[in-house]
Amino acid sequence: MIQKFEKKIGNHVHKAIAEKVGDKIWIHVNGETLVFDAETTGRRRGKVAGKDAKSNTILAPMPGKITKLFKKLGDVVTVGESVLVMEAMKMEYTLKSNMAGTIKKVAFKELDQVALGALIVEIEPTKET
Amino acid sequence: MKKTDLSNLAIKRLAIANRGEVAVRIIKACEELGIETVLLHSDADINSRAYRMADHKVCIGGSTPAESYLNIKSNIQGAKAKSADAIHPGFGFLSENADFAKACVDAGLIFVGPSESAIRSLGDKVHCKELAKKCGIPLVPGYDGDDQTVETLSKEAARIGYPCIVKAAAGGGGRGMKLISQASEALERIESAQRESLSAFGSSKVFLEKYLDRAKHIEFQVFGDSIGKVRHLFERECSVQRRHQKIIEEATSPSLTPELRRKMGEAATLIAQTAGYRSAGTVEFLFQDGEFFLLEVNTRLQVEHPVTEMVLGIDLVKAQILNACQSFVFSEDQYKSFQGHSIECRVYAENSYEGGMPSTGKLGHVHFPEGPGRRFEYGFEEDDVITSFYDPMIAKVIVWDESRPRAIQKMIEVLNQSVIFGVHTNIPYLKAILSHPEFIAGTMTTQFISKYFSEPLKPPTREPALEVFVEEMKKQVGKSAPSEKSATAGNGYQNPWSEQWRMW
Repeated sequence: MIQKFEKKIGNHVHKAIAEKVGDKIWIHVNGETLVFDAETTGRRRGKVAGKDAKSNTILAPMPGKITKLFKKLGDVVTVGESVLVMEAMKMEYTLKSNMAGTIKKVAFKELDQVALGALIVEIEPTKET
Repeated sequence: MKKTDLSNLAIKRLAIANRGEVAVRIIKACEELGIETVLLHSDADINSRAYRMADHKVCIGGSTPAESYLNIKSNIQGAKAKSADAIHPGFGFLSENADFAKACVDAGLIFVGPSESAIRSLGDKVHCKELAKKCGIPLVPGYDGDDQTVETLSKEAARIGYPCIVKAAAGGGGRGMKLISQASEALERIESAQRESLSAFGSSKVFLEKYLDRAKHIEFQVFGDSIGKVRHLFERECSVQRRHQKIIEEATSPSLTPELRRKMGEAATLIAQTAGYRSAGTVEFLFQDGEFFLLEVNTRLQVEHPVTEMVLGIDLVKAQILNACQSFVFSEDQYKSFQGHSIECRVYAENSYEGGMPSTGKLGHVHFPEGPGRRFEYGFEEDDVITSFYDPMIAKVIVWDESRPRAIQKMIEVLNQSVIFGVHTNIPYLKAILSHPEFIAGTMTTQFISKYFSEPLKPPTREPALEVFVEEMKKQVGKSAPSEKSATAGNGYQNPWSEQWRMW
């Protein structure tokens, strides 16, 4: 259900509409659409697919199909090297490693369909000397 | 509903082999012509506007395009099962598939589009180039041989020189098309293009072409009427592209002189006439330094057809259907000049602040601000689900105004007032493009996006008073404490994705 809001700021009356869709709050105000997490159980869905700089895993950033795996178990990867290709919404996306190391785990094979946030590849980082 | 009296038309019931906004577009044309519609849809598209609007529906297969929208047999069977007498293929999917056009005719169905032979000669980019050579139309240097081994293709790429581009021979719309900027990328890009081509079009055949680095994309709408007369209906400029996918299109081009317009229009008409073209088609050119080169011919209706309709006062979809009924003939004085300026923005379900990461999910509230000279083409409404099976385009916003600056101004305001909840959209990105000095000047090239928009858009900041207002609304709507602030989520923008997924 949408809710309408109005507020005068300075000389301008801002009209806004907002709606809770699933676990998100959507707000349209001042020509912009904003989205926030609604306070739920504390676990934020957006985090699932997230991958910070230190991560040694490659997760599926969206649902799709793995079309090509360039690396197999035990292969060495360097920073920025292409590891696999996914296809989603009829476009191809190349997933790259953001660390140097050895492939420790490949959880899927080519042509597999993967869900959002699924762990596809795990990398054992090279020890810094 | 009162139907127009066109009871003598050869088509009484038309099947639509497509989905989304174009299916809606075709249904509306049929309604106005008094023709019943049959929607040939996949499992995934039961929650869509076209499904709710069509008179009859047939599920022709599973969610993946190969099972349904690309399946010739299922489409024909579906159309026959509901006693349709014609099929409109829309754009994408089977629209440029000569085998499909033939299968329709073989099954006793009218194919709303060009003949099988015209699709074969113009639709296959390699054949099309041979025809262009015969017509004396300039071409971009390239390789279009039958030897499709990666070794030969790599060698040819090196001969043409970098940057060059590898493209699906049966393709369109940016799929199966990759830029090779240096020798070390050749192998990977060629293989990738072959795979994308195979999965999107069912053929892995590719060709190579020199990449013009500051070209404009200018295309001419052509139309062959029922007595075989081909006319061009002026041009559209579609230089604003990313990954070779068009984002903003306009009619006419701000860059053509009347003399160039005449020359290019004549070239477009000539190649279409030579191929015996009927129905709507598009002759695409690259335009650089006052010279033009034929890019390809699209043997179908284009996504961006509305901008032509707006400046000419023509209904191309109705013209296609009437033409298929042998009832569309140009009169001499029709469509000889255009009026005003029209712009189309493609609204994609993707996150502008995350480099265009596709966004899927159930739509919440959707609102488009109606008004004079505004047109909204959309296939999904509130509670419909945007899935990852198909193209991420969820709507097209089209405006017309008396001049280009006014049309730009109108478009920005219309986008400001357009609301789509539930999935992220590229609306902020579209507005940034429309406000860019180079776009405003009309001098943008196909490099425009990579030149100025290679980084994800930065979320705008809000004045403190507005921020307070937002917080109040959040509380009211969420009925709980505000969410935890993180560096990226706190200002209202999600950042769940890794950097490697940046797409422009």
